[in-house]
Amino acid sequence: MESTERLVRTWVATSRDQELEETVSEISNDKTSLLNVVKALGPYLTSEEDELRRKGVEFLSSVIARLPSTKFNIASVKVLTTFYCEKLDDTETIIPALKGLVTLSALPSFSSSEASIVIRGIFNHVTMKALVQSVRFNVFTVTDTLMAKHRDTLRAMNKEFLDGYIYLAEGEKDPRNLLVAFAIARVILIEFDITKHVESLFNITFCYFPITFRPPPNDPYGISTEQLRMTLRQCLNATPAFGALAIPLFLEKLLAGSPNTKRDTLQTMAICFPVYGPALARSFARKLWSSIKLEIFQPTDPITEQEALKTMQELIKVIYSAEESSLENDEDIQGLARDACNECLQILKEPEKSQAKPATKVLCAFITTTPSITRFTISQAVPHLVRLFMKPEEALTRPSIMSLLSDLIIAARDSSVQESEVQQLALAPQKDYVFAAAMMALGNTSSRDAALSVLRGLVTTKKLLSDEDIGIVVNNLNDLLQADGNEDVDTGDAMIDLLATIATITPYHIEERTLPLLLASLPDVAPRREDVTERAKCWLILATLSRLCTQADLFETLVSRLMTKLDLLCVPRKAAENYTEDLEPTSAYAHAILTTISQTLTTKMEKGHADIAKHINRLVPQLFNLFFYSALVSEGHGMAATDSRVIAVAAQIVATVGQTLSAQRQELLVKNLVDAVFNGDPGGLADGYQRLPSGKKLDIFKRSTDKPLLSSSILTVSVKVKIPLEDMDKFLHDLLLWSIDCASNDLQRDSAWHILSAIVNKRTEDVSAFLNNAIGSIWLAEVDVDKSPNRRHTAIKGFSWLIKGLFVKGHPLSVPFRDAMFEAVKDKEIGWIAAKAIGEIVAVDGILTKKNHATVKFLYAQKYVNEMLPRIVANARDALDDQSQAAYLVALTALIRSVTRAAYVHEMPTLMPLLLRGLELPDSDIRASVIDALLAAANSGESLEKNIISEHATSLVNAMLRNSMVDQTPSMRVRIAALRFLAAMPGIVRYDVLHPSKPTVIKELVKALDDPKRTVRKEAVAARTNW
Amino acid sequence: MTGEIYNPNPTVFSPVKQSGRQLEQVSHSLWLDESHEIVNQASDVEPIDQEEVFDLIRSIYDPEHPNTLEELRVVSAPQISIKQDYIKVEFTPTVPHCGMSTLIGLTIRVRLLRSLPSRFKVDIYLKPGSHQSEHAVNKQLNDKERVAAALENPALVETVEQCLTPKQN
Repeated sequence: MESTERLVRTWVATSRDQELEETVSEISNDKTSLLNVVKALGPYLTSEEDELRRKGVEFLSSVIARLPSTKFNIASVKVLTTFYCEKLDDTETIIPALKGLVTLSALPSFSSSEASIVIRGIFNHVTMKALVQSVRFNVFTVTDTLMAKHRDTLRAMNKEFLDGYIYLAEGEKDPRNLLVAFAIARVILIEFDITKHVESLFNITFCYFPITFRPPPNDPYGISTEQLRMTLRQCLNATPAFGALAIPLFLEKLLAGSPNTKRDTLQTMAICFPVYGPALARSFARKLWSSIKLEIFQPTDPITEQEALKTMQELIKVIYSAEESSLENDEDIQGLARDACNECLQILKEPEKSQAKPATKVLCAFITTTPSITRFTISQAVPHLVRLFMKPEEALTRPSIMSLLSDLIIAARDSSVQESEVQQLALAPQKDYVFAAAMMALGNTSSRDAALSVLRGLVTTKKLLSDEDIGIVVNNLNDLLQADGNEDVDTGDAMIDLLATIATITPYHIEERTLPLLLASLPDVAPRREDVTERAKCWLILATLSRLCTQADLFETLVSRLMTKLDLLCVPRKAAENYTEDLEPTSAYAHAILTTISQTLTTKMEKGHADIAKHINRLVPQLFNLFFYSALVSEGHGMAATDSRVIAVAAQIVATVGQTLSAQRQELLVKNLVDAVFNGDPGGLADGYQRLPSGKKLDIFKRSTDKPLLSSSILTVSVKVKIPLEDMDKFLHDLLLWSIDCASNDLQRDSAWHILSAIVNKRTEDVSAFLNNAIGSIWLAEVDVDKSPNRRHTAIKGFSWLIKGLFVKGHPLSVPFRDAMFEAVKDKEIGWIAAKAIGEIVAVDGILTKKNHATVKFLYAQKYVNEMLPRIVANARDALDDQSQAAYLVALTALIRSVTRAAYVHEMPTLMPLLLRGLELPDSDIRASVIDALLAAANSGESLEKNIISEHATSLVNAMLRNSMVDQTPSMRVRIAALRFLAAMPGIVRYDVLHPSKPTVIKELVKALDDPKRTVRKEAVAARTNW
Repeated sequence: MTGEIYNPNPTVFSPVKQSGRQLEQVSHSLWLDESHEIVNQASDVEPIDQEEVFDLIRSIYDPEHPNTLEELRVVSAPQISIKQDYIKVEFTPTVPHCGMSTLIGLTIRVRLLRSLPSRFKVDIYLKPGSHQSEHAVNKQLNDKERVAAALENPALVETVEQCLTPKQN
């Protein structure tokens, strides 16, 4: 007791937390009790001096706030509550008293009789307007707690409580308090008998609508406009009683408000209508329609327009869903839907005018409401448009009519998606008319686009068109496709698109009707070199085929037909005749055919089709057969299929198919491959039309045409599959040397390196001898000695692939190679190549990827950048001579080009000066990539990068201007990139920074406006406009 | 823009297709995937033509409506002619009493002023017989002094800027 008194005395003198803590711990340890505290506080609580009284209550409140709830019993809570309620009367003690009540009201031992005492106390003594925000917040918190725990008590007080609370909440302005107040209001509105208080409750809630509060910057309380808006909305739609009062207010706000207010009002209305009920909605229907209509026909912005349409939908749903079952036929629909519909149809009498579009939007919105309204709207609008379409005097406006109709059809389709399956489609009765009109429109060039869109809508509506109808569509499209090959691109695209859509729904129509037609128009012999139109036609057909044939059956047909064509093409029956001819067009045609297959495969791959793998059994052997045969018989004279570009595409196909294979199948593939290449037995691999001449052996190191095919297969071999070669080390060794010494073109070299890189990556442990040897002897022999520069360049490139294979899997052996490469940068002859190689090691490629079963470490690129970037930067800055400095700049730009922006963004401040210097390098490729990197930084929208660009604004502007002039920069790509960067600058750099440069830029860009190239001029226009 | 709207419900036309320029570019090479870059790198000069000038002005917005001049058929490619360094642009107001004609003309002029090399002389005319005060408007649009004076007026420049700014949709 004594110690308690001492603590109280000290606290009153000092207000330190320490005494509070001690008191609390003493009570908790039962050394003293609450009663003692109160006794000790006695003199203060009753003191005449205001300050002492306040302190007394404050101490008590602080102590009970920190005590665990177990320390209170029913009696103590009762006493304390009564005590605090008395203290509410006293202006000095009201603040700590409320604090105490916040604690008490939340206690489990706080009973309902106390609840009514507290709430009465608050109503009687608290004057909200005299209190500051934090205290008012306590009042709301107490009320909220009571509402949560003793709702019945409050409800029993009904009128008294409502009067009191309304008085309390009136005029509250602080958003923190409002959040609580709105929550309380919602409960009141839903659970209390508010019949006599509707108006006052309306006043204390609707006065806040619409919320215009904007949180101050760095708001510590973190209350957002959106939060307030949502809580308030919960109040506004809490009771139907508000309806009659609310809607006029909404309409007023809608008329006068800013776009934000309009949107808020529309959204709020949409959620309020269902609560306010159909009767009310009906009585206000006319007024609502004429207000909301304005937002649709003269929209302030597209978002508000969207909201207005949604609100209309809600309104219609509320009005008509209640009586849905009694609406048997269209005659029953009266009121708003009918009136609004008629109004829109009136407008639609002039379908070419600008108001027709919004009218259609309204109708489309109606279509997505209740089934009966859907039916009604369609039965009114669709025949109207079709009739209009058929009138001869409206011939000129047919395109507009069709496009409006397509909007309706699509809306009808989307709404029927949600409907139950049994119901008859609302569009079904109109189908034949629409179909006929669309077919008519299809015949006319001007309305064709819109007609295609209508047809697409019809085709994609489930169970609408009969099989026969679709057949007619396909036939018509076929005719059109054949009739004019050089039609404009968009329409052609749309037609093919529609066919492709049909192909996914009913493939056999396409297979039976379209494919034979297209395939038949592909020539068996390649178009001649100078026959440009014929070639363009072939390409168009092939592109069309590729778009249409992604579906499994169609693809199979496509492959078998195209392969037949290819065989005829590459191995002509009357061989002798062909040799004298120009072979290149034939190769190019073969290439185009293979590209088509390859592209279609890639598309299928992206869509995750399952039927790719089975083509290993037919397509792949046929390809191998064809190419092996061509390679074997091509001694002395040319064969169409020996062209490296053709082989490359074939390899791509094999690789794509290979990616999807199982491990066993891959093993078989590799075994066959090794048999074919090393053991001279291609039987298992190549199986097709041509009989391979026996007795000839494919020597991989001499005859190199098949290398890409081999490489493509190795790529896909997964880690688990062993490659059945006796001496892997020797193989790789030979391969590397061969690629440096003998390979005659880039394709051969590249594929050799791909094999190298893939094997090193996947089977590192099998080839360790080769790797250890490589750094020592091969590197020294090939790179470091005085061999010809060309040879050294090739060696460097080869090694960069080797490093890549190791690095991607995070193998430690990559480090010595890398260091060696770094040394090479200093060399005059090979510095640039080495520098480029360093940068490009992490470039994304199609070879070492997960899809190809390579071992790829997570975030390897990031790791590489973190290690290499500082090293390159340091070297670029500190290198002694210009030559190696430039070489390091090359490395830097190559690196930046190879990785994503995120990997180097944190280094931007140090990189910027170097990049600026990079803009002066003579190599246009590097400059273009530097500008691209800068452009990526500019478009990222992050403040860090904006600041860096602002910092260097003037030098950037000057550098870019130099790079955008045709007389100084012959490369178009650089000019375009530079102009794009200039165009982006005004958007990211503050105007006052750019102001000094403005006259120069405007003047200089006039020259770019006169660029000989059209695309450059376009960018220049954009840039100059932005400035 | 206050008060009266000259044509509250104008006819909207669907935009004309891009010209067949893309088609010309394809098919000159023998191989399918040879990039256009290489084709474009060729040093032949592409002169500014009717189509390009039209591309510059087609996306200007009408001061009264959220539609482009192209959609309202105020401008069209055949109404533009180029002879060496002389360009003549003709445009058609949607109604003969349209008070916005001068503004539209001014907007076209500003756009071309900004986007064409200075060697070009640009004349802008109303389509003959399409407007009540055709002569006055023509005179105003092609008077250097008066155009310059109009561009000194900040409110007018603001409106012109609005018409020139592309809108998101």
